[in-house]
Formats: sequence, C-alpha cells, structure tokens
Amino acid sequence: MSDYKLLNTRAPRVDAVDKATGRAVYTDDLKRSGMLYAALLHSPLAHARILNIDTSRAQKLPGVKAVVTHHEAGIEPYGVSPARYDETIFCHDRVRYVGDEIAAVAAVDLDTALQAVSLIKVDFEELPLVLDGLTAMDEGQPQLHEMYEKNICAEVNWHFGDIEQGRKEADLIRTDRLTSKMQDAAFLEPQSVLAEVDSHGNLTMWSSTQAPHYVQRTLAMALKIPLHKVRVIKPAVGGGFGPKASCSTGELATCLLAMKTGKPVKLTFDREQVFLHSRARHQFFHTMTTGIKKDGTLSFLEHQCILDGGAYASFGIATVYYAGSLLGGPYRLKNMKYDGRRVVTNKPACGAQRGHGAVIARALFEVQLDRLAEELGMDPIELRLRNVMEAGETTCNELFVSSFGMREALEAVRDSATWRQKRSQAGRIRRNGKGIGAACGFFVSGAGYPIYRSQTYHCTVITKVDDVGGGVTVMSGAADIGQGSDTVLAMITAEELGLSLDDVKITSGDTALSVDLGAYSSRTTLMTGHACREAAQDVKRQILAAVGGRLGVPPETLDLRDGLVVSLAGDIDFSALREEYLKEHKGFRDLPSGPQLTFREASRIAFLELGSIVGTGKYKPPKLGGSFKGATVGTSPAFGCSAQIAEVNIDLETGEVTVDRITGAHDCGFAINMTQVEGQMQGSMMMGMGEALMEQVQYDQKGRIVNANLAEYKIPTSLDMPHLEAIVVESNEPHGPYGAKEVGEGAIMPVIPSILNAIYDATGVRIEELPITPERIIAALHAAKNALLDSK
Amino acid sequence: MILPQFDVLVPETVNEACAMLAEHAEHGVRVLAGGTDLLVNLRRPIITQHVPRCDGCRTHPEGAVSSTIDCTMWESEPLMASGGSLRTLLRDQEKTSPEFLVSLHKLKELKNIRRSDDGGLRIGALTTLAEIQRSPEIRQDYTALAEGTDNLGSPLVRNRGTLGGNIVNARPAADAAVPTIGLGAMLTLHGKSGTRSVPAEGFPTAPGKTIIEPDELLTEIVYPLSPTYSGSAYYKLANRKALEISTVGVAVWVILEKPGGPVADVRVALGAVGPTPILAKSVPAVLIGKVPDKAAIAEAAEAAAGDCRPIDDHRGSAWYRVQMVEVLTGRLLKIAVERAGTTT
Amino acid sequence: MKKIISLTVNGVEHELAVEPRRSLLELLREDLGLTGTHKGCGIGDCGTCTVLVDGVATFSCLTLAIQVEGCSIETVESLAENGRLNELQQAFVDQGAIQCGFCTPGMLMTSTELLRRNPHPQEPEIRRAISGNLCRCTGYQKIVEAIKTVAGENDE
Repeated sequence: MSDYKLLNTRAPRVDAVDKATGRAVYTDDLKRSGMLYAALLHSPLAHARILNIDTSRAQKLPGVKAVVTHHEAGIEPYGVSPARYDETIFCHDRVRYVGDEIAAVAAVDLDTALQAVSLIKVDFEELPLVLDGLTAMDEGQPQLHEMYEKNICAEVNWHFGDIEQGRKEADLIRTDRLTSKMQDAAFLEPQSVLAEVDSHGNLTMWSSTQAPHYVQRTLAMALKIPLHKVRVIKPAVGGGFGPKASCSTGELATCLLAMKTGKPVKLTFDREQVFLHSRARHQFFHTMTTGIKKDGTLSFLEHQCILDGGAYASFGIATVYYAGSLLGGPYRLKNMKYDGRRVVTNKPACGAQRGHGAVIARALFEVQLDRLAEELGMDPIELRLRNVMEAGETTCNELFVSSFGMREALEAVRDSATWRQKRSQAGRIRRNGKGIGAACGFFVSGAGYPIYRSQTYHCTVITKVDDVGGGVTVMSGAADIGQGSDTVLAMITAEELGLSLDDVKITSGDTALSVDLGAYSSRTTLMTGHACREAAQDVKRQILAAVGGRLGVPPETLDLRDGLVVSLAGDIDFSALREEYLKEHKGFRDLPSGPQLTFREASRIAFLELGSIVGTGKYKPPKLGGSFKGATVGTSPAFGCSAQIAEVNIDLETGEVTVDRITGAHDCGFAINMTQVEGQMQGSMMMGMGEALMEQVQYDQKGRIVNANLAEYKIPTSLDMPHLEAIVVESNEPHGPYGAKEVGEGAIMPVIPSILNAIYDATGVRIEELPITPERIIAALHAAKNALLDSK
Repeated sequence: MILPQFDVLVPETVNEACAMLAEHAEHGVRVLAGGTDLLVNLRRPIITQHVPRCDGCRTHPEGAVSSTIDCTMWESEPLMASGGSLRTLLRDQEKTSPEFLVSLHKLKELKNIRRSDDGGLRIGALTTLAEIQRSPEIRQDYTALAEGTDNLGSPLVRNRGTLGGNIVNARPAADAAVPTIGLGAMLTLHGKSGTRSVPAEGFPTAPGKTIIEPDELLTEIVYPLSPTYSGSAYYKLANRKALEISTVGVAVWVILEKPGGPVADVRVALGAVGPTPILAKSVPAVLIGKVPDKAAIAEAAEAAAGDCRPIDDHRGSAWYRVQMVEVLTGRLLKIAVERAGTTT
Repeated sequence: MKKIISLTVNGVEHELAVEPRRSLLELLREDLGLTGTHKGCGIGDCGTCTVLVDGVATFSCLTLAIQVEGCSIETVESLAENGRLNELQQAFVDQGAIQCGFCTPGMLMTSTELLRRNPHPQEPEIRRAISGNLCRCTGYQKIVEAIKTVAGENDE
C-alpha cells in the first residue's frame, strides 16, 4: 500500500459538514442590500421573425428599474467556439427556439419583474420550423442561420488507417444503428446569478457555474468590458454535469442589468428555464459498420453520426469531434472512418454533458461487439479481452495511452459479478427475462487544449502560508461543483506539507485567485492536482530553507510530517527557535511543547525570515495529438477506462425493466480519495441508467418541451437504482499527480451499452432507440414474434 | 415557481367551508387540501407573451399565454385526440386565477378512518394518502386501495396529498381514485343545502371535471363491506418506480361464493385509458357465476381491454395501453381470487 | 392583505405577517434566512425543500405558510446540537453520501422522519422512504449506506 498519510484514504469531504448542516452557501442563498430581481422574456415560438419589440408598458410599471433588449445589449455575436460565434445576448431579428431570450427586466421584486416581462409586446412573424435532426439538411428546409448552409453547423470527416484494407481482412461485417434523445443534466440546483458593479466599475458575478474562467471571458467580450474588470465567483454549486460550463444568457443579462441600474441584481432559473436553456446532451443518430476476424480481432470501424444540436453551436463543435475520436480506444483498432455532422434545429441548444459526445457512440459500438461475438459464438467479454489496448500504445487517431488498466477492470467485473456462472454458454442468450450484459469505456482525463486557442496555463494554484504561522490557504480558480475538487486540493496540500486537513483552507472558484479552465472534460484532479502539488512543494521548500538556515542544517535533511519538522539526519537542537516563538506568544495557551519543532513554529519562523511565503504551481499539457484537422479534440495527457456489468430482470408481458445490480470497475490511475472515486462511479451509473431507460426531453410539434419538469423528465429514484458496486483500478498514470487520472465522466461510458446488452440477453430483441421504455420492449417482442410467424 | 395573488380563507367547519365556496363562486374560488396539485396548477407561467394564434397555449390573465405544461403532477392528462397539444385540455377554472382559496387544514373531522354501521369503511376526505397506506385495516380488507397509495407519487406526495383531493382532481390516472371506483365506493358530497351520496364511478366526467356543485365539498368516501370471500388488488404500470404518473392503472375486486369460486361479483376499474378512470363494464357478465379458472380470467381480461379507449400521448401509445390492460387485468384477477380464497 | 401567523421553527416561536400566497419555503428562506432548505423545482418534484411539519416530512414549496399556522417546523438547521453533527449527519459525512449537497438537507429530513418512525429500517424500506428525494450525484448508494449505518444494520 501507499506511504501516504492522507492520499488514497477515505477522508471526508472538506465541505461535507457545511452541506450537512445547511450552512453551505449556494448562489440563490446570497442576498445584497438593495438587490433587484431579474426576469427574462423567452420566446414562445420556436422559429419566428421579430418585427417589433415594445417595452413601453413594462418600463412604466411601478417598481421596474430597467428593461433591456438587443438595443442595450448590442448584436455582436458571441459563443463558445470562436469559429462559431452564433449567439447574441438577446434575439434581435429572429427567435430560434421556444425559450430564446428576447429581453430582461430588473425590478424591486420578482413578482414585478415577471409582470413587467408579460407586458413587453413582441410582434412575430412565424417561420416554418426545423425540428427533426435527420432531415434538417434536406433541400428546401428553412435555414436557421446564414452561416450554416443546409443547417450544418459542423462537419468532421476522418479516415485513419485504411478502411478498405480492414474490410478485406474482415471475416464478419455488420451494420447497426442507435438513436438517442436529447437529455437534460437534471442537476438539482437551477442556475442562479447575482451580479454587482462597484464604484470602480468592477463587475463581480456570483454564479452557479462550472467554468468561471470561460464565463469571465464571455462576459468581458459580450459586455465589452476589460477582462480584468470582471470577476466571477462560484459559490457552492448543486451539480453541473456539463451544461453549466457555458455562459448563459441569464448570466449576461443579469450583469447587463447590474451595469445599467448600478444595483445588485439576482436571477434564479425556474426549473422550466433549466430545460429551456438546456445546453445538455445532443440527440445522436449513429450508424456503425464494424468488421472482425474469426479470431475476434477487430479489423475496421466505419462510423456515421448526425447530431441534432438545437438552435446554437454552444459546446457542440467539440461534441461532434468527441463522438468520433473517443472510439479510438480502448480496443486496438487500426482502421477507423468517421463522418459526423452537427445540425441546427429549432430546439434549445445542446452542449456538453457527462461523457461529452461519446456516450451514445460508445453504446452502439459496444452493442456491435456483443452482436459480433454472438455471431462468432464467442463470449463477449473474451472478445473484448482479445482487443484491449495496453499502456504504451497509441490509437489510430494518435491518442497515446500512458497507463491503461482496461484488462484488469474487465476481469475485475467479470469475476465480481460471477459472469461465467451467470452466462456460461458463450454466445447464447436466455430470453427468459433475466439478462446480464457487459461493456467497456474510454475517456479523456482533461482536454489537451483550451476551448479558445491559447498558450495559457490550464490552471495555476497559489498556496500561501499564514503569516502568523500554523496553516496554509490554497487559492485556486478550480470549480468544485459537487465532484469534490476542493477536497482533492486540500488532501494534496496537506499530504505535501504534513498537515491535517483542518489546517488547510481552500478558497477556490474565483477568477481573482488564479486561472483555471474549470470543471469539464474530467480535468481537475490531473491538471489542478499537478499545480496544487507544485505550489505546496514550493511552500515546503521555502519553509525548510528558512528553518534549515536558522538551524544551520541543510534543508534537504528536513521534512514536514504530521504537523512537525522532522530531521532525517538525527536529532537537532531547535530550542532557539522555540524560545523565539514562545517569546512572541506570551499569554497564549496551547503553545507547542513537544520534543519536536512544529509546523506552526517553523512556518512562523520562516515568515520572520522571509516575509509572506507564497508557493505557486501551474500546469499545461505538453503538445498532444496528431496534425490532422480536429486532432486536438480527444487529446489528453492521460486516458481513463472502465468496464461494467449490468444485470436486469424484465417482465416479458409488460416490458418493465428492473436493474438488479451494476458492477463497475474504473481505472482512475490512483485514487486520491477512495470514497469520492466510488461516488463519481456510482453517480455515473445512475445518469447512464436514466439515459438508457427513461430520460428524454420531449417536444410537441411546435417545438415546445412537454416535460420541462422533474416529474415527467424522469431521472432514476432510489427505488429504481440497484446496488452499485464500484471497483477502483489503479494503473499509476505517469502523467498524473501521484499517478491519478480521471473518473468523473469515463465511468458513464459502459453503463448504457451494458444495460442494452443485458436487455438483449433477457429478451432476445435488440432495440435501436433510446430510452428503452417498457413499451419499446413490448413492441420489439411483438415485432419479433410476428417476424417469426411470417417466416414460418 | 411563483404563485399569483389570492386570499386564503380558513373555515373551521364543513358548513362554513361550503358557505365560503358558495359566496365566492362567482369570483373564482378553489379548494385547497393537500396542495400537491392545486398549487402546481396555479403557478405563474415562465413564458408569457402575446402570440398571434398560438393554438394550444393557455390563456393567462392580462391576455398573455403560457407554454407551461399542465402536467399536473401525478396523473395522466391524455390528449383528447392523438397529435393534439397537451395544453388544449386545461380545465376551465384554471384559465383564470382564483381570487380565493378555501384551505381545509383546520377541518380535522374530515381526517379519519372508521367502520360504518354496516361493516364498511368510511374515510374522511382529508385523510392523507400516507395514512391510508399505513392502515393495516385498509390493507387487509381494501387491499386495492392500499396498493393504490403504495406507488402514488412519492412519500412526500403521500404525506401531503389527500384521498379526497386525488378523487376530486379527477385525473384519469389517479391512483387512489381508480381502486375507489373498483371497490364500489360512494362519495359523500356536502353542500349548502344538504348532503348527497353518489357512486364513485359516476363522479368524474372529464379530465379535471366532476359532477360536484360549486358549493359542495367531498367530505367522505364510503367503501362497502368487504365480504368474507373477497379480495382486491391494484397495479400501477409506469416507467420508473416512484414519482410517476401511471401509464396504465388497474384495480380489481372479486367476491367469490366460496374459496375457489364461483364468482359472485367482480369489478374492474381502469386508469389512464380514457378521459376519466373507468369501470370495465363487460367484465361482470363474463365472470359472474363462473369458476375463475385460467380460461375465465383470460376471457375477462380480454373483455376489460375491449372496454377501454385510450389515446396516444407522451406517456404511452393507445396500442400499448390496451395490451397492458389485458395483461394486468388477468394478473390482478388471479391475485384477487387468491386473496378472496384466503380471507378469513 | 398580509395575515399574521405564528408557528414554531426549530424550537423558536415566530409571529410573522405573510402574504396568503407565501409558501413555507419562502417563509423559511426569505423571512427567516434559513437557506439550508433548498428550492430545486418549486412544484414538489424533487424533494430538496423537505422539512418536517409536526414531525411529517413535507415539501415546503407546496405548503402555504398559512396552512402550517400553529405547527412545529423542523429544518436541517435544527439537526446539529451544540455545534455537533447528529448521528445521521455524521453518517452522511463519513459515508460519502454528500456530493453537491443540494439534495442533502431534504434527504436528511426525510430520513429523520423515517428513523423516528422506525429506528431500524431495512434497505428496501430506506429506499422507499427517500424515493421522493431526487439525487443526481450519488446514485443513492452512499446515501442508503449512511442511513443503514444509523439504522444499525450495516453488518452484512
């Protein structure tokens, strides 16, 4: 086992007590004196020309302090990807989805603000709608944006290796399809914003965001103020899972209203607005053709995908690339072709969500592997084991895998779930309602490049020793959105400095503290972890140098452990330092008295020598990936991988699905915090299970969401979730701090396909459309029965 | 969520409540019991905007329309015709915000479960669904009702929601109303001019609509005596195991002449397969007088499927619902017959 | 239009003037500053606003303040005693039942009701009891484990 005191343990989260007592402060808990309340005017139509906006009645309503539209906000486009700036703060000529923002109001209370919004008169000319992603590119379809010909917002055409060669080598080739639905991340805290401008023109915005840095940039750009005049602070955040990574109109509008009124302004989304704003998972239409040799070796993958991205680009450019690139692993696959297109439609914009872009692609590919295994008469786990990559290999799309516990993870779930007993006959399925299925996954451990082109460090960390001695404060821009990054930073710092967690104070999620690209692409533990470790080591070096100097011993003979300065070269006389410390603290109680110099004394003595002691750390990945177009997406300093087995029980008469157990193993390199790694895995299992079985944003024919609430957008409840077994695999990632890499998103990859494969085992029918509702199962069983009758 | 302005009246007695309802009927008044449906329906819309002929949108005071979905929480609101908009079905009274709510929280006399003189059961309308779920007496003698509450909404909904509310809301999928119809209950309506008793199955007339008069309050639900050889059962079919609106709900009540049959009486009530919960009318003719064996039950289940007229909506297709009525009726008849045979 | 009501919140009696439409959730968060009770949906779908009303787990978003006149309300802020976490809170902290923490107060109040009614619930009863409280982070696994710890049957 490790020699670490704290790392690799189950230390409780540093914010857990505050969250268990109600003391944790989320954005909507904040109040400022004189604060105004904002409301947004959303488009009721999915596609229309704006002929006129009349705000006069709203302006006159008593209590209204400001009404803003595109007249105040301007019409300069902004967005996530610089090549696809396709949004304006408010719509000016057209609305493109039900919910598109047209105006905002600040008033003395929410009631007045909402009433004012209802008094704004907008004249629309309705335009024909594009609601179907599959036909959005067809001739004659209305076009949503001038810049997107045929409504194609992004297109990827990749060819790695030689597909034709792969086709020649294959003994068995099959083509399959899978369609998903738009998802909602369904985090429990609706977005909330509080903005305020001080007397120097500095804009401060508290927001429920995953990416303070990107939001800071977007605010500065869209609101036309210098970057250094914008500060974004992230209080406690009630989950993000992707959609909170992009700057929202709510954030922009609230800041604009604060600038206009000179008062603090707050806006908290209603749950319905969370759905309207969306920026969650796209709808995917995948088609894959995979070839395999008789011995189970994969020979090629030809993959087409259409992504329905809703009205704007958001993070969707990255999404269409990820949908292709992350099939490069975890199996050896020499020949891969990918043609992906992201189209725009008159629905809320889609963006990133846990497992960005790769989840449904992974689901279909893993289903294909099972179907190929069945045709070959081979055990599906055995087929996977024959193809898994090992550490040191590079995928056909030039992703280098520096550590890889894929084989270990797959064997772990196979054995833990007693796969062999439950599914003894290779290639045979049961059709008796009980099923078991397996799948694997592969994911980045931090995006190799920032979303904007830059040589920027991806994160910096500043660790400052208390001038009075005793503890340290870690300052970081990293965003703890519930995943536990603050705890990881505290554990790393405490470990390096030999301190207890209580002596490490974490301040984070604030753009005034440091640059950090934010909580997305499962990057924080690896990247900010590196920077945090470096900052702590910097602090340690300075303290030991100062103390060593005073003691007349080489600093390298000293170490910090258990709150003490430890001499590695025999006993040393530190009485002069203690005397000095005690002299400073006459009348204090609880003074150091033991036989060793404490960190409290040492850090104070070092301050007396050096003044404030500040350590800094920084991280950016080396140049990664190939040189082909779009090669940056999918690159990462390290890759996580995972395997899962799902066991299901299906009522063959009603189609009801009960998931009895999910066993997952994930290679996180090294578990900084064992409990948190399991927590990320279990949360991923839940989200994946919801997506497989029940979650879907549904629209009517006018483009309105018919289930914009948590009653009818169904996420699994405690009764739906089975026992979730999480097995942690540690492959010691050479590019990660202490060997650590991601777990936040990778663990969702195998969930959907393991359930799909289990359902097939239980029913003998394959369903090509998610979610797999009871009705879809019954319909598929009927179709299979009728087909059988026809053939007789 | 933000609620519109209204005043809340708090009667101390049932008569006072009825008087308040009568007095304010013209200005818009609604009864507030558990609040789990009413307050959701009253909330102000997020999308408010004048739109040229936005058909299907809800008209809101001040002429604005809302695209807020009226998915009242736990019950099905099937479309009148497939392909229609969800919002076309809004109850008339929701088109305008009420000026008054009459909150019943002080009417403790409507919160009880007791035996009636003839051995039946009388449940006060304000009895919460959780209280019904936890009553051993109900589970023993009126199992379908207990099972109806088992998966209704969530524990939090059941703690707050009332039996009366579930019935008066008149949602087609109401999980407590369906077994109430299946068990042949009578509803006591108290009005300014007196009290009347009506059969539960005739009470709802359309989604959200009932025969209740503006000054009337549902005060009590009266379940008939559960005979010696009788058994009942309810099943809620849905996509997840809590917080759900039923795709189909089926309640069955069987009375046998003796253990093993023949059938003396039978009632099958169906939820979410019509504009209101319905009674499967052709089942008794198929089953009464017969030994409830596999063939008889299968025939009865088929008859139940023939009685329902579901529509396609976002919760399920008509095709699937008809299939499920047959499957579930068959299963529940078998269970109820077993229960009838073992009743002491 | 405001009405005067009195109620007890976490053992302290309050007399407040409230609008008839004011929800208990708004009263707690805005009038009393008890922001530990959260608003995840406002329409009874998520359970983050759960408090105890006379011991019964209740969503405060769909309860009007007027309806709880004279009642005793308990919120998450009442659970710790003398600055020390109670057994259930400690179990949530120790077992990793808390991630983003937004569901936590409601989850704690619902399980408090459960454990008062039945101090030793088995896992199925625990899962049933919290089935109206959504959590998007944990898959419920560690929440169930934490409640089981307190229920004293985590031995299997």
